[in-house]
Amino acid sequence: MDRDGFPRVARLKDGSSVEISLASAGDGPALLDFYRSLSDEDRLVLKDDVTTPGWLARFLAKLASGASTSLVARADGRICGEATLHRTLHGWSRHVGEIRLSVAAERRGKGLGYALATGVVKLAIDLGIEKMVAYLVESQIAARKTFERLGFRKEAELARQVTDLLGAKRDLFIYANDVSHIWAAMEALVEDYSSHEGH
Amino acid sequence: MARTEIRVGGLGGQGIILCGSIIGKAAAIYSGRHAALIQAFGPEARGSACSAQVIVADEAIGYPYVRHPDILVLLSQDAFVQFSPQLKPDGLVLYENELVQLGGKLPTTARSFGIPATRFAEELGRRLVLNIVMAGFFTGATNLLSIDAVEKAVIDSVPKGTESLNLKALMKGYEYGRGLVAPT
Repeated sequence: MDRDGFPRVARLKDGSSVEISLASAGDGPALLDFYRSLSDEDRLVLKDDVTTPGWLARFLAKLASGASTSLVARADGRICGEATLHRTLHGWSRHVGEIRLSVAAERRGKGLGYALATGVVKLAIDLGIEKMVAYLVESQIAARKTFERLGFRKEAELARQVTDLLGAKRDLFIYANDVSHIWAAMEALVEDYSSHEGH
Repeated sequence: MARTEIRVGGLGGQGIILCGSIIGKAAAIYSGRHAALIQAFGPEARGSACSAQVIVADEAIGYPYVRHPDILVLLSQDAFVQFSPQLKPDGLVLYENELVQLGGKLPTTARSFGIPATRFAEELGRRLVLNIVMAGFFTGATNLLSIDAVEKAVIDSVPKGTESLNLKALMKGYEYGRGLVAPT
């Protein structure tokens, strides 16, 4: 088992199971295959053109530098889902992490997205991320529900920000989850101080 | 009748009381033994002297104060100066070796082990978990409690959402402690 308790097996709603592990450079070719297998419509909502070797090189460089931390789900020897935390390692938003999530069409609706998102949210908290964001198109209803279950709430709405394959304009939502209170509770716990006892 | 007296000493803000509380919980709730905890801290929220007295025993504890500790867990130089004279001659000192210099003032029969717990906590991502690294170090170096019991006590004690990093901190300290006391 590597750091953070991965790899681990996640049992899905249909009784099947997948192995979720931390992504490494060795996963590069399988990741490219996974993204190339997504439909044009699915890839439209992704920020980058994830089918090119150039994207993969940049992605692996970010993994190596710690600017990205990624989980991949595998079944039958193939990657069937991926969740990544992207963050900046310096600057005024270094406490913020962006989560991106992709699941193969045949695995959707079975809890894999939730399992991946849960795992990456926990990694983010451990890495000291205090606020997480996810960019979701209005039509991504299942993904929005997944993030809402994890405590994310719609914080901003960009009207007509996305053009779909048919040329229709869609709204883009920015979902956010401020988790700074979690570690604030720990900070209070280690204060070794009470205003009403112990003096 | 086995009775072990433990003093955890350091500064406010280092999580001294929580460290003592985890040791006590692991003994009393998750190991079926008896434990007592007495906490003392100064008037400031951070930086003042702070200590926890913990007794772990196989029978009911009639006197809950630590007079001559079997084990000292030290996270500040002031705590070392204050508490080391009370240590039993064959006692054990577990200390944060980047914050505490022992300086040869311990009885020759006493044993001591140091750990760079603050650095480990920072490497894990949060200095806050320094006390949990020390709780793990205590567990690994003393064999007084099982790691399973301490793990349960940590999960029971820390805020929801912080368990994962706190358990990593616990295991970091535990493995370091086991490595130091393992027979060569």
